[in-house]
Amino acid sequence: MVECDFPECTTFGAVIRFSLELEKGAAGVYEDLAKEPNAAAAAEMFKSLAAAHKKRGALLEFTRQQKLNEMILEPIQDLNREAYIIDTKVLKGVDTKAAAKFAAKVEETSARFYLDAARIAKNLMAEAARVMDKLGKESQANKAKLDAL
Amino acid sequence: MALLSEVKKDYGKLKNYVNGEWIDSTSDKVIDIENPTTGEIIGTLPMSTVDETKAAIEAADEAWWAWRETPPITRGRIFFRLKELMEQHFENVARIMVQEQGKTIDEARGETRRTIENVEVAAGVPSLMMGYGLEDGAAEGIDEDAIISPLGVFGAICPFNFPAMIPYWFWPYAVASGNTYIVKPSSQVPITQNYLTKLVEEAGFPPGVMNIVNGSHEVSDTLMEHPKVKGISFVGSSPVAKYIYKHSAEHGKRVQAQGGAKNSLVVMPDAVMDRSVSNMLASFYGCAGQRCLAGSNLVAIGDIAEPFLKKFTEASRKIKMGYGLDESVNMGPVVSAKAKKKVLEYIDSAEADGAKLLLDGRKAKVPGYEKGHFVGPTVIDQVTPDMKVAKEEIFGPVVTYLRMNSMDEALDFIHSSPFGNAASIYTQSGKWARDFRYRCQCGNIGINVGVVAAMAYFPFAGYKDSFFGDLHGQGQDAIKFFTDRKVVITRWY
Repeated sequence: MVECDFPECTTFGAVIRFSLELEKGAAGVYEDLAKEPNAAAAAEMFKSLAAAHKKRGALLEFTRQQKLNEMILEPIQDLNREAYIIDTKVLKGVDTKAAAKFAAKVEETSARFYLDAARIAKNLMAEAARVMDKLGKESQANKAKLDAL
Repeated sequence: MALLSEVKKDYGKLKNYVNGEWIDSTSDKVIDIENPTTGEIIGTLPMSTVDETKAAIEAADEAWWAWRETPPITRGRIFFRLKELMEQHFENVARIMVQEQGKTIDEARGETRRTIENVEVAAGVPSLMMGYGLEDGAAEGIDEDAIISPLGVFGAICPFNFPAMIPYWFWPYAVASGNTYIVKPSSQVPITQNYLTKLVEEAGFPPGVMNIVNGSHEVSDTLMEHPKVKGISFVGSSPVAKYIYKHSAEHGKRVQAQGGAKNSLVVMPDAVMDRSVSNMLASFYGCAGQRCLAGSNLVAIGDIAEPFLKKFTEASRKIKMGYGLDESVNMGPVVSAKAKKKVLEYIDSAEADGAKLLLDGRKAKVPGYEKGHFVGPTVIDQVTPDMKVAKEEIFGPVVTYLRMNSMDEALDFIHSSPFGNAASIYTQSGKWARDFRYRCQCGNIGINVGVVAAMAYFPFAGYKDSFFGDLHGQGQDAIKFFTDRKVVITRWY
């Protein structure tokens, strides 16, 4: 589960906070999956995706600092985080196929969150919406790779 | 609710920064610095003496000539270092601001960004302060040049609403262009500036180039009256701005004194309803209404008045109040008990004058923050132009709703105000927008934008009683304010 105390992402800061939690959760999932002996065939891929999600976290922190526009800090609506909760509890002993399926679900939810955030808050988050869009598309691509395993 | 951590619980007794050293004030007059959300005392501030202020002025004057001789490109490089340090300390600066001022973390991060932007622009000083010349400009064989030169020591007297940014509308431009500087931070919110000045020290500005003197009117008066101070920058209320302008000018200073505001947001019948409401929420309730660019009067034209009011009031009800270190909070408290009392009195007066409160923030409570100076979003309908709330600056999250028949009527109303800081129009009509922009006698005009906050490379404008002076803060205006033109005519035999 991704931990955030607020039910709705109603501010720029809350959207970024939830995004950071998503990235942390996703990176943790991949790190756990990379250690699964029955999924060893995909371990390198999982390690690489864990690193990628950490890098995305850094990009989000950069976005929070550099792409915040004080002039248009409008409330954000209709972005309920409960619709984007990811399961981060990896079952022990999963094989490659099950691991990939589990991770694909994480990417699918992440993609949905980022693309929804980019769409809903396009006019409120200015340049940050472009970052959200990029992350959403990356997650879609990650899912496609995982589905192919 | 998970809060971001505070940088410190207690910042102790603040010191002055003079001539490159952190110095304890000898004054026995000390005031508490309160966190307006929790009511906790988070530090104390000495009211520095006249002599301490004079010592800072002397130090700045001593430092001036060597700094003036430092090439602009070298001066600019120190600002690049400062920018890097500010980026590294970005989150701390923002969180301190939340603690001492009460704004939300998003607002504080936004302000920190804008503070840094002023440093970025000032770092380009070699381009900004270039002079100009003309061969044979005076006569054949006689050239004429205008050189832009710094003047000496300048000072800023700063308000509480933007603890980081407002001093940075001024001092980076002054110092980058070869002057030396003294900042008097607001006595209500001095910690942010104190923290930032530690970064200034670390960036490597020579001693005496940038100084901080904490205190009250004794510091301000000394800055205004001292013969070695060349100019004063000020932001605050209009009566004080007028006094600063007059008093400083009497002592031969250049002055830029930014005053109060009573900004109207005019919504035309063709405005895009949802987008306009959302944008206006940020204008009316951002920083709890404590910004000189905040919307105050919402003027609806024609048939849109009823549906717009309904939508706006519904959206206002959803504004979440709390401690700004909770990232999901939309609005914090006002800065002090005194500020809250003043805002409540205005709401009372509207009621007494016959206006109708659709949303009453007077009894707002935030669980867990019972000592916080919260005023909830307040929407007052049936306000007429003659009411006190329609004319005076409230400086709180209060929306006064007026209905008018035409843009002409709205402009007449705007022009009846002694203030001329900002005004905005919400419309899809280019003709209306163009007319508004052309005719409106305010310094900052928004077209579908409710917070008309000039970027660092534009002047922060203001007309009428919202600004006393001629050259504004930020950008080229600031460079001109802090420099003079020296004309050189050259003839060689």
